[in-house]
Amino acid sequence: MEPTVLSVAQYLQYINDTLKQIPSSEMVVEGEVSDFRVAQKKWVSFDLKDEEAGAVLKCFMTVWQLKVELEDGMRVQVKGFPKIYERFGTFKMNVQEVSPVGEGALRRAYELLKKKLETEGLFDIARKRALRRFPERIGLITSRDAAAYGDFLRILNNRWGGVSVQHAHVHVQGRQAVDEIVGAFGYFNSLEDSPLPKGGQRGVACKPDVLVLTRGGGGLEDLHAFNDEQVARAVFGSSIPVVVAVGHERDESLADYVADVRASTPSNAVERVVPSRNDVLYEIETMARHMQDQIDNTISEKGRLIEHATNLVSFVLERQKERFRVIYDQLMVTTGDWLPLIRSDLEGLGKILRQVDPKRVLARGYSLVTVGGAVVTKASELEVGQDINVQFATGSADAQVKRVDGKGQQRLV
Amino acid sequence: MTAKKKTTNFSKAFKELEEITEWFDSEENLDLDKGLKQFERGLELASELKKKLGEVENKVEEIKKKFEN
Repeated sequence: MEPTVLSVAQYLQYINDTLKQIPSSEMVVEGEVSDFRVAQKKWVSFDLKDEEAGAVLKCFMTVWQLKVELEDGMRVQVKGFPKIYERFGTFKMNVQEVSPVGEGALRRAYELLKKKLETEGLFDIARKRALRRFPERIGLITSRDAAAYGDFLRILNNRWGGVSVQHAHVHVQGRQAVDEIVGAFGYFNSLEDSPLPKGGQRGVACKPDVLVLTRGGGGLEDLHAFNDEQVARAVFGSSIPVVVAVGHERDESLADYVADVRASTPSNAVERVVPSRNDVLYEIETMARHMQDQIDNTISEKGRLIEHATNLVSFVLERQKERFRVIYDQLMVTTGDWLPLIRSDLEGLGKILRQVDPKRVLARGYSLVTVGGAVVTKASELEVGQDINVQFATGSADAQVKRVDGKGQQRLV
Repeated sequence: MTAKKKTTNFSKAFKELEEITEWFDSEENLDLDKGLKQFERGLELASELKKKLGEVENKVEEIKKKFEN
């Protein structure tokens, strides 16, 4: 029988068709990664090896298919289908999914992703946002079957009231967890920004003030969704501040690092998100008391001021009265001193006045000559024939001038 | 719906009370007339807030939606 002649391409196609008979979807290949490379930021290639047997499987995939960080020496399980690449004639596993195996590999993948996100700035303190002190709406992302769900609501009711909680039920572990959590972040962030105006449609949800992503504690495998790159990026991309609370004190997750606020447990998340009734009550009472004190102080201060002013006025009045009394007394004393003096002075003056009284001079035999009322003191002021009046101590006489200084009418001999 | 409305006021009322308390501290010479008015308002807010602290409870609503990425 003549052999069938095939071209290389036809032959390889035949082999590839045969390889498709392998139930690839039902098997995973486990081995150790070596020679891990990324070309042009797109193409991922590595060798999967069995350490003991020295067997090598060449693997190929794209960076978009690779959901975990890989490095040489990591133990992984690979899922994919085998294929011969015609152009190079090489046999490779076309990988669909890679997952680290065992705590060591998971830890390593976690560390690598952590470093990558940190370098990208997803953990930067500067981008962390403050939470509202009194939130109105909380978006809670967790499983309704998780203990964290019950814890959160119980502590919330103990601590605070009046909040509306919108609960997004998601799986917090298992295959669907990542997609559901990322979906919940997408949902909350797509809601309307502000509360509805009055008369708005009831029951239409609006954007919460804060998102809380929480679950109980667990091993790295349980927490995989919280360490997933997509979840970390969803937390990072949320326009609503995010609180992440995973498990117990010691547990940490990458979502924790990206969150605006990292809470240690679901109950601690409540404490970070809402204030305590007692604290707020105490604060209100302190403020009221403080106002009361300030008012009391002011009132008593004004009272003191009025009292002081009253005292001051009566004091001033008293002093004025006193001063007046002193002055009056002084006046009385000094008047006693100088009144007799004035009296004797007056007597002296009277004496002098009496001595110069012209009438007294006339009484001694002098006469007073006047012309038209004016006293004549010089003979030269007179004219011959002028009428003059001569005043005596008693009575007066009118006369006519005959001669002045020897001149005038002839003297009768 | 009423709970939502209350908390809006709570936040606002609390802020107003804080502002009034601050006002009392910032006044050098407190004007008694204005002070008494502010005090009255402050007490009103305080009692309103206290009342709300006592009566409000939380409301939980499950979102009817299947979450997928």
